[in-house]
Parts: sequence; C-alpha cells; structure tokens
Amino acid sequence: MTISQILFIVMSLVVLGGGVMVVTARNLFHAALFLILSFFGVVGLYLLLDAGFFAAAQFLVYIGAISILIIFAVMLTRGVQLAQPANSQWPAALVISVIVFVIMAIMLGPIAITIGQRQFGDVSWPNVTAGQPAPAVADDSLVRLGQSFVDFNQYGAAFLLTAVLILVAMVGAIWVARDRTLKDVMEERAELAAEEAQEAMLAGLVQQPLPLGEAQSAESPAVPAAHH
Amino acid sequence: MSVIDAINNLLKIISDGVVNLVEGILGPGLGADLIVMGLGAVALCTLAALTFMAMTWAERKVVARIQSRVGPNQAGPFGLLQPIADGIKMFTKEDTTPASADRWVYNAAPLIIATFALVTFAVFPLAPGVVGTNLNIGVFFVIAVGSASTVAILMAGWGSNNKYSLLGAFRTVAQLVGYEVPMLLNVIPVILLAGSMGLADIVQRQTLADGNPGIPFILYLPLSALAFFIAGVAETGRSPFDLLEAESEIVAGFHVEYSGMKFALFMLGEYVNTLAVSIVFATLFLGGYAGPILPPYLWLAIKTAGVFFIFMWLRGTLPRVRVDQLMSLNWKVLVPMSVVNLIAVMILAKLFVTSPGLQAANGGILVTPETQAAILFVANMAILLSGLAIAARRARVLRLAEEADIESRREANRAAASSFVGGAPAK
Repeated sequence: MTISQILFIVMSLVVLGGGVMVVTARNLFHAALFLILSFFGVVGLYLLLDAGFFAAAQFLVYIGAISILIIFAVMLTRGVQLAQPANSQWPAALVISVIVFVIMAIMLGPIAITIGQRQFGDVSWPNVTAGQPAPAVADDSLVRLGQSFVDFNQYGAAFLLTAVLILVAMVGAIWVARDRTLKDVMEERAELAAEEAQEAMLAGLVQQPLPLGEAQSAESPAVPAAHH
Repeated sequence: MSVIDAINNLLKIISDGVVNLVEGILGPGLGADLIVMGLGAVALCTLAALTFMAMTWAERKVVARIQSRVGPNQAGPFGLLQPIADGIKMFTKEDTTPASADRWVYNAAPLIIATFALVTFAVFPLAPGVVGTNLNIGVFFVIAVGSASTVAILMAGWGSNNKYSLLGAFRTVAQLVGYEVPMLLNVIPVILLAGSMGLADIVQRQTLADGNPGIPFILYLPLSALAFFIAGVAETGRSPFDLLEAESEIVAGFHVEYSGMKFALFMLGEYVNTLAVSIVFATLFLGGYAGPILPPYLWLAIKTAGVFFIFMWLRGTLPRVRVDQLMSLNWKVLVPMSVVNLIAVMILAKLFVTSPGLQAANGGILVTPETQAAILFVANMAILLSGLAIAARRARVLRLAEEADIESRREANRAAASSFVGGAPAK
C-alpha cells in the first residue's frame, strides 16, 4: 500500500466514523462536533486529491461557518443532553438512505445499467496502480477554475444564478431582522398600551399611575380614568 | 560568496544544509522528505512559541509604559526572564477540571486552538525561498485555518459548563464570524493586484526586479489596509474588540474554567494568531521580507514588530467597544466600504494595467506602476473619506432623533405628572 492509500483509508474512516457518530450520539452538541470531524475528513480527502483550494473552501465554509450555525441552533434547542438519537420514523429514514445510496452507487459505479432508454453507470475512474505516478494536477488548475466560473460556455450561468440566490437570501435575512424606525416602535407601544388599558377597564381594575421613567409617550392614547 | 550574501541568505543556507545532511544520511527519498518536513514543522512551531514568549514580555512592557507603570522588572534584567517564570508557574499550577464539564470537549478545545494557530505558519515566506510550503492559495489558507479558532472557542465555552464561558462563546461567534467578511473582502484587492493568492508571489509583486522593495500595497490600497487591520484586531479578539473575554462583564469569557497549561495554550493560540495576522499584514501590505541593506528575514521581523506595536498601542489606549458598536462598525461601515472599494479596484485595475502582456490580453491603458498606485490611492482615499462622511452624518441624524425622542418622553412625563392632583388624576 502506498502512503496516499493509507491516508485515503484514514481520512475515509474519519469521514464515515464521524458521520456514524453524528447520527448515534445522544448529546446533540457532541453530534455537531462529530459533524465537524466528518467535514475535516473531507478536507483531508480534498488535500489528497491535490485540490488545495477546495480544501480551504471546505474548511472556511463548512467548518468555519456552517457548523457554527448548526452549533448555535443546537445550543438554542431544549434537551441537548438527553436527546434520543432515533424516533419512530427511523425505518422510513433507513429505507430512503438505502435507496439514495443504491442510486448513487449505480450512477458512479463501473457497471452499466440501462433503464428505459437511458444508460446509467459505466463510469471509468482513472486507475492509479502502485509504482506508477499519479496523474499530475496542472499547476494552473486554480486559474482554470476561476476562468470556468466566468465563462458562459462552462459554469458562468450557474455561478451567476448562485450569486443571485445568495443575494436574495441575504436581502431576505436583512428584511427579517430589519431595524424598525422609532416611529414603528412608538406605534407598536401605543397599540400595546391601548390594549392593556382596555383589558384593565374590562376587568374593572384600578389603573395605577405609571412610574415616570416608563410613562407612555405622547403618541399613546391617554389612559382612561378607572372607576373609583 | 561574500559574507554579506551569507548573512542575507542565512535561513536558506541553514535549511539547504539540513536537507543535504538528512539526504546524505538516508539518501533522497520519502523517508528523508518526511524527516525534513518534520524538522521544518518543529522549527516553525518553536519559532512561533519563542516569539509568543517575547510578545508577552514586550506587550506587558509597552502597555505598562503607555499607562505610566513599570511592568515586569524583577525576573532578570528588564524583566526579560518573566515569560520563563510565567511558564514555570503555568506548568506547576494545578490542572483543574470542573465536575460538570463535558470532559472531551473541555480538554480538546485548547489543543485545537493552539494547533490551528501554529498551522498557519506553514505558508509564511520568511525570506526568499524559505517557506514551509508555497501553497498557491496561501492567504486563503491562512484565513480558512484561522476560522478553526471559532470552533475551539465554542467548544471551550460549552465544555466548561459555566454561564460566563457560554456567554463569551456566544459573543465570539458574532464577532469572529462577522469580521471574517471584511477581512476576506479586503484581501481580494491585493490578490487582484498581485495576480496570485500565494504569499510568496504577493511579496514578489511588491519587489522590483533587482531585489529592492517596490511600492508596497499599502500605498496602492490604504483603505483595504486599514479595514484589514481593524478586522484583524477583531479576529484575534484583542482590545478594543476583546468582548469575548471582557473581564469586567463575564469574568474571563470562554476560558474562565481553564488553569495551568490549558490556559497557557489559550494564551499561545491568541498570541500566535495575533502574530499570524501581523505577518499577513506585513506580507500583504508592507512588502513582506523585501527591504534594502538589512537581510530579508530581519526586514520581515521589523515590519511584523511594527504591526504588533500598533496592536499593543491600541490595547494600551482604547476602551472596549460595546456589542452594538462592534456590529455597527462591521456591517454598516467596514463591509459596505470594502465592497465599494473592491468594485472600484476591479474596474481601475482592469482599466490601467502595468504589464504589456496583460494589455495585449485584456486591453486597457498601459501605465507605470507609480501611476497605477497613485490612481488606486486616490480612489481608495475618496471612498474612505466619503464613507466616513456618510457614517458621521448618519450617526448625527440618529443622535438627534434619539435626543428628540428623549425630550418628547420628558414632555409626556411632565404632562402626566401635572395632571395628577392630590394623588388622583384630574378629570
């Protein structure tokens, strides 16, 4: 076995082991950390393929950003420690996973399968045998990657569409978390105060004078006098 | 080879000598390569760790001088042995673990933060031809690996099972993830001008053909340099952006529960990250190891020390910013300015090219590097000044609105108070 084969097996075990631990860990936070471990294995696989840019992008995007979001979501979840790794839907999940795995294995495998008119599989992967040099990765692969993103005969359209999609998502996020103006806040407060006053009147409670620091703004309707 | 050449190429000569020695013993091959790489990694990590010791001493001395104190002065001359005394103290301290800590997560966090801080040193060009590995994605690699500290800090905050730790970790995420955006946005103009992401290529681009320093990129891109520096201070979590360990609010943030060597590893991670940002700044904007007369590695050390001095200066003089100020500065000032700057640099670098080959390929007007630098400098300064003017105007509008709101509330309070007569509201 060559060193790169050993490294490939180690990295694959990291990816698969991390993935298994993600779905079996009882502590949700641990599951998120095992997901990061799995991502890290993917970084290693990219490095083995001489794809340094993809490795760094995987690191920055998945480990540096996406997993952080997942951890945040986990931290805001109840019952992090006692979560059950499986619920009653696990047989359905198992069936779907197996189906997806089989489809992917067929699509990427060496055996040709004809379904209807379409032919699937029959992928011939470049075979590296021990003692022979691996097919060289061109030095300008990064340059060519960049050029393929701006070339409309290659991935230019997909790249632009992705950019637009991300822009839309960003604008949406900003709109959801938008900064309300002072006027909006004041109107909301006035509505709230009016509702409270109405409830108090209906309940026949004596309206206490508000402390000065929390007095209603000028825009809020005057609190009606309660019954004496 | 003259003595001056030997001094200038000292690092190169040493590394070549080590390579020859190892290959002489083992013969060239995989084994020799692995040993050479291992030795290089050990040398780089040792360099970083020794620099960490020197940095702690220098920072305590400089900040003490800024604040009219003396600083460490008992251990050795000028307190020079203070880092060693601190190290012995850290080693001999009890290594505590909270009873309710998440053991694996708690113990792994300091290791991760220190490891990934040291990994960045693999790509820094210390002198011509002396670089751990000349990745063609150098600067991207540094920023990507630097993002691992976010995960480690979250692990520390969660694993300690302490509310102050967790608060510190929460603050970290908002800060570090947010400031990664302007950091990357301000690296891209440099990559555009240099035509490469490799740190050695970026230094090469700032060096003239005869080895003398050319125009450093800080003169091309003053706005990018400023924004990158601010983002760098925030990324390393140093004052005035040290919200993640604000001792007056959340004790010490994410490392409250750590003691002994684990705490020392967090310190190592923080200082090595600072050192990495200083070196990246010196490489991207100040021309790296290029410089006259003195040997190149010394020039890199001088430039890095200069950048680190500004870090210390900020720490000694500025108060900590509030969380909302931190976020506003990032998302409302730095990011929009950086995006506008990036677009401007893209257009100008396309219009005014310096190499005839590029002109033949893409068109554009052929200018000298000095002219290109002048054009980009003017554009950068125009964006910076107009951006600051807009921000200042917006801040003034908001402040006036806030004052008007407070005044209207006072009026309402007075009206409410005067309508109560003898404890009963007037009809």
